[in-house]
Parts: sequence; C-alpha cells; structure tokens
Amino acid sequence: MKKLFYILLTVFTLPLFNFAQQNVEFEKKNFPDRKDELKEAIKELREGDAIWDLQQPNVYPVAIPHYLAAQKFNPNNAQLNYRIGVAYLQTHEKGKAYDYITKAYNLNPAVDEKIRFYTGWVYHLRSEWDKAITEYQGYAATLGGKQKEELAKANKRIEECRTGIELAKNPIRVFIDNVGPEINSSYSDYSPVITADESLMMFTSRRPGGVSSGLSEEDNLPYEDIWVSTKNGKKWTNARNIGTPVNLELHNAAICLSPDGQKLITYDGAKQGGDLFISELMGLTWTKPEPLGKAINTEGHESSASFSYDGKDLYFVSTDRKDGLGGHDIYVSHISEKGKFEKAVNLGPPINTPYDEDGVYMMPDGKTMYYSSKGPGSIGGYDIFKTTLENGKWTQPINMGIPINTPDDDVFFVLAANGRHAFYASASMKGYGGQDIYRLTILGPEKQPLLNTEDQLLAMAANPISNLKTEAAVAATGPKMALLKGVITDEKTKEILEASIDLFDNEKNVLLATFKSNSSTGRYLVTLPAGRNYGIAVRKDGYLFHSENFIIDINADYIEYTKDVALKKVEVGSVIVLRNIFFDFDKATIRPESASELDRLIKLLTENPTIKIELGSHTDSKGSDEYNMKLSDNRSKSVVDYLIAKGIPADRLTAKGYGETKPIDTNDTDEGRQNNRRTEFKILSK
Amino acid sequence: MKKLFIALLCTFSYSLFSQDTVKVASMLTPDQQAELDYNSGLEKLKNNDYTSAIDFFTKSIVNKPTFDKALTNRAVALTQAKRYVEACSDINTVIKLTPKNADAYFTKSLIFFNEGKKDSQLVALDKCIGLNPNHAEASYYKGLLMYENGEYKLAVESYNKAILAKADYAYAYNDRASAKRAMDDLSGAIADYEKAISLDANQAFVYNNLGSAYRENKNLPKAIESFGKALQINPKYFIAQNNRGAAALENGNAKNAQTDFEEVLKKDPNNSSAYNGLASVAIKNKEYQKAKDMSTKAIQLNAKNGPAYYNRGIAKQMLREEEGCCQDWKKAVELGVSAAKSFINTDCSE
Repeated sequence: MKKLFYILLTVFTLPLFNFAQQNVEFEKKNFPDRKDELKEAIKELREGDAIWDLQQPNVYPVAIPHYLAAQKFNPNNAQLNYRIGVAYLQTHEKGKAYDYITKAYNLNPAVDEKIRFYTGWVYHLRSEWDKAITEYQGYAATLGGKQKEELAKANKRIEECRTGIELAKNPIRVFIDNVGPEINSSYSDYSPVITADESLMMFTSRRPGGVSSGLSEEDNLPYEDIWVSTKNGKKWTNARNIGTPVNLELHNAAICLSPDGQKLITYDGAKQGGDLFISELMGLTWTKPEPLGKAINTEGHESSASFSYDGKDLYFVSTDRKDGLGGHDIYVSHISEKGKFEKAVNLGPPINTPYDEDGVYMMPDGKTMYYSSKGPGSIGGYDIFKTTLENGKWTQPINMGIPINTPDDDVFFVLAANGRHAFYASASMKGYGGQDIYRLTILGPEKQPLLNTEDQLLAMAANPISNLKTEAAVAATGPKMALLKGVITDEKTKEILEASIDLFDNEKNVLLATFKSNSSTGRYLVTLPAGRNYGIAVRKDGYLFHSENFIIDINADYIEYTKDVALKKVEVGSVIVLRNIFFDFDKATIRPESASELDRLIKLLTENPTIKIELGSHTDSKGSDEYNMKLSDNRSKSVVDYLIAKGIPADRLTAKGYGETKPIDTNDTDEGRQNNRRTEFKILSK
Repeated sequence: MKKLFIALLCTFSYSLFSQDTVKVASMLTPDQQAELDYNSGLEKLKNNDYTSAIDFFTKSIVNKPTFDKALTNRAVALTQAKRYVEACSDINTVIKLTPKNADAYFTKSLIFFNEGKKDSQLVALDKCIGLNPNHAEASYYKGLLMYENGEYKLAVESYNKAILAKADYAYAYNDRASAKRAMDDLSGAIADYEKAISLDANQAFVYNNLGSAYRENKNLPKAIESFGKALQINPKYFIAQNNRGAAALENGNAKNAQTDFEEVLKKDPNNSSAYNGLASVAIKNKEYQKAKDMSTKAIQLNAKNGPAYYNRGIAKQMLREEEGCCQDWKKAVELGVSAAKSFINTDCSE
C-alpha cells in the first residue's frame, strides 16, 4: 500500500515539476556564475528590443536572430519568448511561433495584454480550432468597450475557426508532390506561374546565381529573381535564370503568363509601392519589361495580375484607389485593339470585400476565376476562392476547402488548364529549404468501390444473370474547355514560321482573338472555352491560310488537341480544305456560320487578283454515288455563286463536285466521314 | 435456361397426358395396340430414354395415325433428342387434327424455343393465346420472351395476363417484378416480389431479388434483411450472401460485409465476386495494398470481372501507381463498366 502511494505521488507530482516553470529575468542574481554570458545575452536582447520598439510588425523578424541568441542563454523569460513568437508570426515560418508563445503563456499568463490573442493564433495555425476559439474569446473578454477594432479582429478570427471546423468535415482529396530539385532549391522558391498546358513554369527564387550580386539588406538573402523550367515528358528541366532584361538589379518577381505563354507580367516592388510590368517573348528572348501604364499602376500596391483567355482583359490587384472596397481589391482593365490598358473597373462584391484580396488567376475557360481573400469565408489569412461568371455576374465565391486552404496565407495558387493540377508554394512541409513549390493533384470526391452482385431475376431461369450495380461516378469536375496547341511550319521547307492565329466565333461571325506562334519554335497555344463553334485561321503573308473547325460542346470535358500546321505557299496546285464552310443538312444552302471563312477566301482572292481557283466539294459515302455527286456539285456551285455575288469575277472560279470519289479518311467512322465531307479550293493558275 | 425449358416441356406434356394412360384389352385391335405402345413410350419418356420412347410412339402412330396424344409425346421426345424438324412435323399434324388445340400451339412454342427460333416461338404463343386467352402459361412464357428481348413494357403486359388467368401464379409475380425493376419502377417491383413471397415463401431466389430491389431503392436495412431471409431458406446460397455483403458495405458496415464475403469464400473458394467484395471493403478501410491484392485475385479467377479492374484502378491510384491505375480503368471500360470512363477523362490525362 505504501509503495502504491509513492507511485501515485510520483505520477501526480511529476507533471507539476515539469510545467511549473518560473519566469526568469535577465538579472545577475539569477545567473551568479555566468556574468559574461549574461552581459552578451543582454546585449543581444537590447538589439532585438531596439527593433521591436520601432513598433512596426513587418520588421519584427529582423529582431529574431538577436532574440534567439538571448533565448539560448535564458530560455525561461516570458517576455522574450513572447516577442520571438510574435516576430515569427510575421514571417513565412509562422509554425515556429507555437513553442515560444505557449511557453511565454505558461511562464507568465499576463506577459502581455495580447498574449491570449497570439495563443489563439498559434492554435489556429495548427487547426486546433476549439482551443483557438477559447483563447480568442478569452482575449475578447479582456477588451474594453472602446477597443472595437480589436474586438472585431478577435471575432473575425473566431468566425474563421468556425468555418475551419465546418470545412474540415469534408476535406478535399489531393495528392501534394514537391515538384523536385530541378525547380526547388535550399532557398525560398515561390510564385509559380505556368502556361495553360503545364509545359513551362516560371517562378521566383531567392537562390544565389541571380542577376543581382550581393544580398538583400532586409534579410541578408539573395535578391528575388525569375527562374524558368520546361517540362520534358513528366519531369521538369533544371531551372535556369531567365536573365536580363527581365531580371534586373534587386528584386524581380514573376506574376503571370498569358495563356499562350508569349507575355509575362512581372512585379517590381521598388516602383511606386509596387508596380506591374510586361515583357513579351520574341523568338527565344524576352523583351525588357515595360510598366503597364497609369490605368494599372498607381501610387498604391499592384501585386498580382492575370490575362483573360483571349488576352483582351487584364485582371489585377491594386490598393488605395478611390473605388476600393478596402485593402487590396481586384480590378479589370480592357486592353484596346492598340494594346492600351483602359480604365480599371473594381469587380465589386461579392469578390471584393473590406478585407484584402490578392492572387487573382483567370482560368483559360474564360469564366472561372480563382483568387485569394482574407474576407468572409476564410479559415485564416488569405484563402483561395473560386467564382464563375454567369450571365454577366460573378457567382458567390466558394472556399476551395481544406487542405488546399490552411489557416495561414494561401495565395499565388495557379491551376493548370485541365483543372486537376495546381501549383503553389509552401514552407509548411519538409522540402528542400525555405518555401518550396508543390504540385497539388485534385482527386475529387472519394471514389466508391464497385461490387459484383447477382440476381436470379426470372423464376424459370436457374442461370444467374450477372447484374452489375454501379455507384454514381464521382470525380473532379474539370473545366469545360479545350486546349489547342502545335507547331507552325512551311509545308515544303519545314522551316519554323511565326504566323497569326485568328480565333473566330462562327455563330456570331466575330473575331474573338488573335494569337501568334513563337518565331523561334513555331509553337502556339490557344484555349477554347466550351459552348462555341470555333473557326481557326492560321495566316501568314505569302501563304495560303489554313483553317480548322472545333465545336466544343458546352458540357465537353477538358481535352487537349495537338495540331501541327504546315502552311502552303500561294502556288499552282496548292489545295486547302475550308473547314469552316457549313451547309444545311443534305442541301446546298450555305449556313451563316460560314461567313468568316468565305470572307477570308474573298480576301485571299482580292489580295492575289490573278489567281484562278477550283472550288471542289466532297461528300462521305453515305447515300448513292449519283446522289452524292449531285449534292457536291450543287454545293460547289453555291460557294462559287456566293463569291461571284461578292464581286469575284466568274472566270476566276470553277465549281466541281467530286461526290464520294476522293475520300481523305475512312468512311467507317463518324470522324472519318466528317473529314471526308469537305470543301476545298485548289489554285489552278497564278 | 434452355435446359429448363426442356424440363418444362416434359413436365407440361406429362401433366397433359400421363393421367390418360390407356386401358388395354386382352384381344388387341390396332387402336388397342397403339394405346399399349403409347403407354410404353410414355414410360420410356419419363425415364429419359428418348430413343425407345420415340420407337414406341411411332409404333403407336402406325396403328393409329390420328392418335394426337402419341403424336404430341413423340414431338416431345424428338425435341429432347434435338430432332426439331420431326418434332415440329408431329405437332403440326396434331394441329391439323385438332385446329383449336391451344395446348398444341403451346408445345410448338416450346419446340421453337429449344431450336432457338424466337420469332416462331412468339407466333406459336400468340396463336395459343388467341385460341385460349386464359392460357396462363402461354402468357407467362410470352412475358419471358419479351423480357429477354428487352421489351419490358410488353413483358409486364403479358405477365399481367398470366396473373389475371392464374391469381396465385407466384413465378409470374416474381418475373413481373423483375421487368418492373428493369423499367426503374422499384416500388412496383418490391410490391410484386413481396406478393410472390406471400404466395410461396420458400423460394430463396425471390428473397434475393427482393433484397436487390431494396438495395437499388437505397433501403439498405430492408435489403440486408431480405438477403438474410434468402440465406435462412438456403444457407448455401452464396449469391445472397455476396449480395448481403455488398449491401452491408454500402450501409457503412465494413465489418459485416467482410464477414459475408469471407463466408462466401468458404462455400465457394474460387468466387471472384467475393474477392472483389473484399477489395471493396479494403478500399473503404483505405487499405489500398490489400485492395490491390484482393482485386488481383478476383481478376485471376475471372478475367472478365470489370468491377475488379475498376477497384484495382482505385487502389493503384492511391498507391501512386498512376499508369497501372489508368490501364485498369481502361480494361474496366472494355468490360462494360462505363463508370470508369469519367476517371479516365479526369485522372488519366497528364
């Protein structure tokens, strides 16, 4: 019995001894045998205090090395631990604050009037929602009636925790993969930007080897520079510094790429409180970044931007504007035909709030926007939200959920066009050092297993009939769009060509956008939001245009098309398929959607007034030979009649129906038959 | 199915004629000799000695060419011997002799079934029903034919007529229920299965069907109860046990599901479905390596088990075997599991 008593005594008193730590001041009496060390520690402490006393939270981190040196000597000073914790909360390494803040609280619960707020915050950052709420409420209870701002701040945090509790009930399923040492270094690597097809990534890095020599005075680290990597199969190539003129002296950061990868927006923090610049890819070299102009850049802070899929609008983040709703807001500026940025318009609620918004990213589907906000619905700091443009209005933003969002800042998140992969930077996981870039694969709702079940449905049927019951498929819903990419070359010489790619809405007969292929690689990249009949014309002076047609159903799943285009010179014998000439079913009546293609043909004939062409029409093999011959003959005549009516002399045009005699594909499949049904023109003489 | 129809054909013929065993006099006239041979033929037929049966019926018919019963039973024996042309000829003779004989047309329909001539079978059934609208069996078999053709609405109409002609026709209720299920009329199906059970409570397969209908209707507790009753009637009925495991898993009881699938494997060690069930349990438990192993076993036992490929794809995805998972989902689609298509679209494009 006596033995048991001692065991119990030990069990119950050990924790008391362990946790009943005393606050230890930096005084001689507490360190009688360590005078020199004490002197050194007090020196470090004072240096840290000098920075602290500036009362500018953004410079608190500079005090950390001094405070840590002092804390190494005396780990049990409540105020020192408190200050180290608070300083860490101003950095990317907020997780380190936990040990110091909780220790400060244990050493002296009255160390500072805000200790319970910060204790709440460190629990909050660890998603210990209930403990965080308790501390925030405890802090709120200490506030007087006049401290309305502080009370609102505490209540906002409590609300964030409550949202966190709800979202944690249905976490988003994801794989998170470090993109690897080809991109990440032992320094901070962040702000990834990618092309729509995920083939190229630019990012910002604090690693050595940049354009600026020396170290930043702010944190004694190399300056920010933009680095680039391309995808080789499934692996990224070793990142290389994008070099001058994009990277200049001091800090340079990547902000966004245009969907076709030909334009880059950069950020320079030294200009007017932070301005945005644009650089264009000319062949293999980027031009010197130019400021985006007064419509975009102000005395305030412009921090993030994203092009619309057609490159005609720029969404960006700015502060301190007259029409701002508070903090950083998202604006849009239309880019005129001449490339001028027009007056910026605040996107307004529900996107902009009295809190900060940042990290705007427009999906290439033309209607989905991702952005970060500290406003309502966040679980702490910036959270990533999604909204879509429907009938001219932005839908109520949706929090992307846990673990995509964390209680810390989640910002500068970019999604690949397929909607399944996202890239973001984080320091919260064990990586290569500092912040690393991660690829997040969104898995969608949990996939339910499929069971075999059997029934004997008919009484007289002894043989069981296998009856597979399937669960409703659950999967991540990808963006409804297509991505078209390829290389443009000269058909005969195979030389790389820089050509223009016109994107038309055939139904409305309007030019949606014009893109250019890269002059050095011939590569092009065009995004096609779902729900339209697209006419695509690839053109270059001295060559015949090449046309393609894509009808992207409104409910089509994400798909990538690779279409290499070999342009033909304007010479006798050249044949071009006119993919955007449409007829009524089984008739020779030209449909209105054909107008853009016919206009291109008229333009070609006008610019080359001596050429004579044959308009040939072809059918698939459905129907009798005789019928098809007649139908194709009538269709070719319809096109010729249209051209004559538009002023092209009849003696330059020959109509010819080929029926089903010259297939270019199989007639056994829908796709093959569609390819066989076509209108072509052939140059007969120049 | 075919085997069953042959059995039915015999049963039906015996029931028609066995009570008509003819009395034989001591001084035999040709008719009497015919009757004697007829009785001998019938005995052989009952003993599945078709060749001898045909011989006796032939002797009987030689002595009495208009002996419709001998002709009918010879047709039955010829059908059993797969001599369909001769069987059909005999039944046609019967029809000529008795043009309004609905039963003869019904027998003819069964001969056509065995011959695989569904169109002719339907014509014969229609003729039978035309002569006797209350011929419950003919309507029932017409319903069966419609069901097999995927014409569920017409099947229900035929089963309705069968039930109208024979109110306690339990099998017709079961089959009508299955046709209603095929038309997504689950509440109608459940009512019919329950009616079939009320008429004959000893048919395990009807309880199994009822369980499946409840499962489709998302009433999982009732499904589990119905599968359990099927197992009470026939403890060896592993189909119901497998189904109960599936329902239990869907009802969130992975432990009971696992027990059922393991029990199935005790009864039928090479049951691919049960291994796939264990793979499903493992997926629910997030034991992906086990899920992969179990679904692999299911595939080894049945290479056409599409759901097993589907499940192995899920397991491989979570094990980060990305190429393997996509290959499995493609195979599942090839095997008719259309649900895998969306995974290929969303998860298999880099």
